[in-house]
Amino acid sequence: MSVYWVIGYFLVLVLTLIYKTPIVSGPWLFLLRSFFPNWKFFHAVGYVPHLYARAGIVNATGQLVWTDWVHLYPHAEQKFWHLFHNPKTNLGLAQQNLIDHFWADLNDAPEGCDPRSFVSYQMVAHFVAGVLHNLYPEHTHNQFELRMLLDNSAETTNTHVMMTSPEEVRT
Amino acid sequence: MTMDWHASFMLSTPLAIRAIELLFAWSLSIQTLEYLRMRPATQGNSLWVWSIQRQDVPNQWMRKFLDSLFMPQAFTALLVLRLLALVSLVFQGCHLLNIGFLFVSNLALLIRWRGAFNGGSDFMTLVVLTGLLIAQVVSHFSSSEFGWRAGFWYITIHSITSYFMSGSVKLLQREWRNGSAMTIFLNAAIHGPLGSGHWLRKPWLATQSSWAFMVWESLAPLALLDARLAVLFCLIASLFHFLVFWYFGLNRFFWAWLATFPAIIWCAGQI
Repeated sequence: MSVYWVIGYFLVLVLTLIYKTPIVSGPWLFLLRSFFPNWKFFHAVGYVPHLYARAGIVNATGQLVWTDWVHLYPHAEQKFWHLFHNPKTNLGLAQQNLIDHFWADLNDAPEGCDPRSFVSYQMVAHFVAGVLHNLYPEHTHNQFELRMLLDNSAETTNTHVMMTSPEEVRT
Repeated sequence: MTMDWHASFMLSTPLAIRAIELLFAWSLSIQTLEYLRMRPATQGNSLWVWSIQRQDVPNQWMRKFLDSLFMPQAFTALLVLRLLALVSLVFQGCHLLNIGFLFVSNLALLIRWRGAFNGGSDFMTLVVLTGLLIAQVVSHFSSSEFGWRAGFWYITIHSITSYFMSGSVKLLQREWRNGSAMTIFLNAAIHGPLGSGHWLRKPWLATQSSWAFMVWESLAPLALLDARLAVLFCLIASLFHFLVFWYFGLNRFFWAWLATFPAIIWCAGQI
């Protein structure tokens, strides 16, 4: 009898691949989304959001000069003992997850919406300000950009800018 | 004398309970110690400051409560209490108090990290925690045997479903079927792009590896048909999760899924 239950369960799983349920959203559902896992990891290849930032520095003649764009993408060393303790890598992964959520917020936003009202935008802006403060302590302005990168197995084949923040004066 | 190979792979209920308690305590201890080390990332100029994140919480009174809970000292105390609850789980086993506290504090941690810190490993950690809570609550109102049966099946169904869904959705993607997706994701991983001579840059090897894991994951429900199949499935799964850790840095995934294996083997032995 139990074998039939397993077969039935297998069939239900196959059906869930075909039947698409409507997406339900809300602030509490977002915060408690771990109760509704979808178990789809690394499944679709496509454009991936990447964060870039630059600092503005007022030079000796009083002119605002911008640095090159810095790619804020996490990197971590590969070590066996990280299997047991890996805070730096996990923070890097969480950072990139936030960038994914920021992209999703922008993507779902209605036309004309000010993205500065998003929590994800404010978190990214706060993070960028902190990173630029460490990289360029004397900077006076900052700006960030969300770029969408499309990779094939050898290189990045296409890039476009999804959003550029206003030039912000350092507070 | 004939050997009963099937019986030797079956897991008794007390052994399955002890195994899941120890593996889960280990998995959650690793996570909690990492959270303790990450506290600087939640303060000052860092990314995860609560003063911004608190806007995610829709209720005023809940926001105020969480403001107090996520103050640096209170948050540290919460993490230390979790470690104590885990020590109690190791030495005293599951009971409503330690599992109840771990469950509620886990919800607080998820909110602290905007719903999930590490995605899948948070989902699976919550699955095991919910399964253990089900076992305790049902045991309270019914028999302990029935409670653990409910808890183990809850964990097993989620765990097996996770493999099936993860594998089958990849089978539907052309880039996974031709092997290129694996190289693309590995190049974008946190350890940086694969070296130019790396074996996974060989298209035929990437294709074969992709197919091996996609087919294996999609056939996961078959592991429930026999305890021997379940043991074999869990051994391959351990290797799979180790490789995911090695290439993507996802150490929490390894332990979160490992904690579900006693439930899978126990359930397969019941069929």
